[in-house]
Amino acid sequence: MSIRLENVTVAVPDGADRRVLLDGIDLEVAPGETVAVTGASGSGKSTLVAVAGLLRAPDAGRVVIGGVDASALKDRGRVRLRRDRVGIVYQSPNLLPALTAREQVEIVAHIRGDLGRAARERAVELLTRVGLEDRLDARPAELSGGERQRVGIARALMNEPSVVLADEPTASLDPERGQAIIDLLVGEARRAGAATVVVTHDPEQAARADRRLHLRGGVFHADHAQSRT
Amino acid sequence: MYLALRELRVARGRFVLVGAVIGLVAMLTTMLSGLANGLVDDGISGLRRLPMTHLAFQDGAAETFSRSMLNDADLAPWQHVKGVESSPLGVSFVNARTDQGKTVDVALFGVPAGSFLAPRPDAEAALEGKPGLVLSHEFEEEGIRVGDELTIVGVDERLPVLGFTYAGSYGHVDIAFTGLETWQQLLYGDNAKGRFSAIALKGDPDVVAAAAQRIDPTSGTEVVTKEAAYAGSPGYAGETQTMAMIRWFLLVISALIVGAFFVVWTMQRARQIALLKALGASRLYVAKDAVGQLSVVLLLATALGGLVAFGVGGLVEQTAVPFRLAAAPAFSALGLLVAAGLLGCLAGIRRVVSVDPAMSLRGAD
Repeated sequence: MSIRLENVTVAVPDGADRRVLLDGIDLEVAPGETVAVTGASGSGKSTLVAVAGLLRAPDAGRVVIGGVDASALKDRGRVRLRRDRVGIVYQSPNLLPALTAREQVEIVAHIRGDLGRAARERAVELLTRVGLEDRLDARPAELSGGERQRVGIARALMNEPSVVLADEPTASLDPERGQAIIDLLVGEARRAGAATVVVTHDPEQAARADRRLHLRGGVFHADHAQSRT
Repeated sequence: MYLALRELRVARGRFVLVGAVIGLVAMLTTMLSGLANGLVDDGISGLRRLPMTHLAFQDGAAETFSRSMLNDADLAPWQHVKGVESSPLGVSFVNARTDQGKTVDVALFGVPAGSFLAPRPDAEAALEGKPGLVLSHEFEEEGIRVGDELTIVGVDERLPVLGFTYAGSYGHVDIAFTGLETWQQLLYGDNAKGRFSAIALKGDPDVVAAAAQRIDPTSGTEVVTKEAAYAGSPGYAGETQTMAMIRWFLLVISALIVGAFFVVWTMQRARQIALLKALGASRLYVAKDAVGQLSVVLLLATALGGLVAFGVGGLVEQTAVPFRLAAAPAFSALGLLVAAGLLGCLAGIRRVVSVDPAMSLRGAD
């Protein structure tokens, strides 16, 4: 299952004018492939994540996830597609303060309405895979920055997504931990066969991806494409 | 309610303030219910205890004994109605002085000997004999005993206390029964001409209504149900309306408090709601979570407030304050309080469902 953005345009009001954040961009990411998107602050990277993650509709263009044209769906359909096919890793881990690590992941299944024994076991399995088997019952305040981001990764993978979107997931971590998180994210997403888009400032982290794109002025510019075959 | 219940468990301190306010409002509502009941009892318990179904007043008297004056001619048609018992009833307020010189207010009910209105067989027997008074038990608290004599102020008539009964009160004044002839003598002297205040009726409502349609136009009477006659009790309408108004205000205040808290709380956790929506939660899911959370607080706080009020009410009932807590009206008042709180929540629900899921990305780019 892949994600495809076709001629996507997003503009926002800027005083009397409108500022174009994404200007007719095209992007296709294949299953198991990781694409890194770099760009300066305000270049539209997070807007790209919002559109690809169906958190906001583009002003023009189409978003196709796993062959389903999200742009043709009504609001409820887009919510379901996002719930079933998309996993997002946030810049700040964005955890719910009242929930334990285990519950942060389980809530994804609860939202889908299938929080049964299998889902509980999968949550524990995911947290074990990201190295938190001893921290299952810890709440965010009891976790380090890196641990929180690991919970975020496990949560993003809980619904077995077709698409994983990561919005500067290491921004709040030191370089060493950031690198480890990126490796974990890319590895797990690849293992799950998800099409992955990682937005990052860090060229070293971008170098871990299969392809690298640079966003400037609302369009992708050619960058050093990489092949990890 | 996956998140809602866990938040309540982990961060219960956040809900203490609003819970305490709701609890206090619930307590106040329950106490008001007891006070309203007590006042009603104090106003019309005597009337309520009389074994009658209807009262016939003089037309235009607005269910008020002091404005109504009937006589034997008005009573006569009712005495021929099959299936309906009828009795003249005299009601007036007097002052009486005890042997110790203490003056007490008395709601004097004049009832003929042998009337179905006589409160108890022994009281009835007392009324058949020499003129005297059968007092409500509350007079015992004034130190009055059987055999004492009360002097009716104004006419200086001395009447012996024949006994006590559960007569209750009328217009916040404790009742004393006396024979109708004695009552007429006290009020009109030798010029009574068979006058009394109203006719007490006891019978099937349909039969009474049918007879009233026939009798009222010719005799100049107006038949009302016993319950409708409560309105004629001094201060009854004003008191019940004041209590009702205070309760409605409390309900509105409760709705506003809960609604305001809900809106502020929603604004504080907007990013969490955005995250839930980003994870694929529907509008219904986040709405149920948010409203469910406050519903739990509302129910717990209301139950706790009501429980405390029942405890305090038990103590108040032992004082002179007219107060009587009854389960049904108190529970219905608390139920209305919960409903008002939920309405307050629902007024703010639009803010919950309209949270933009893209807000979960805020802080980046």
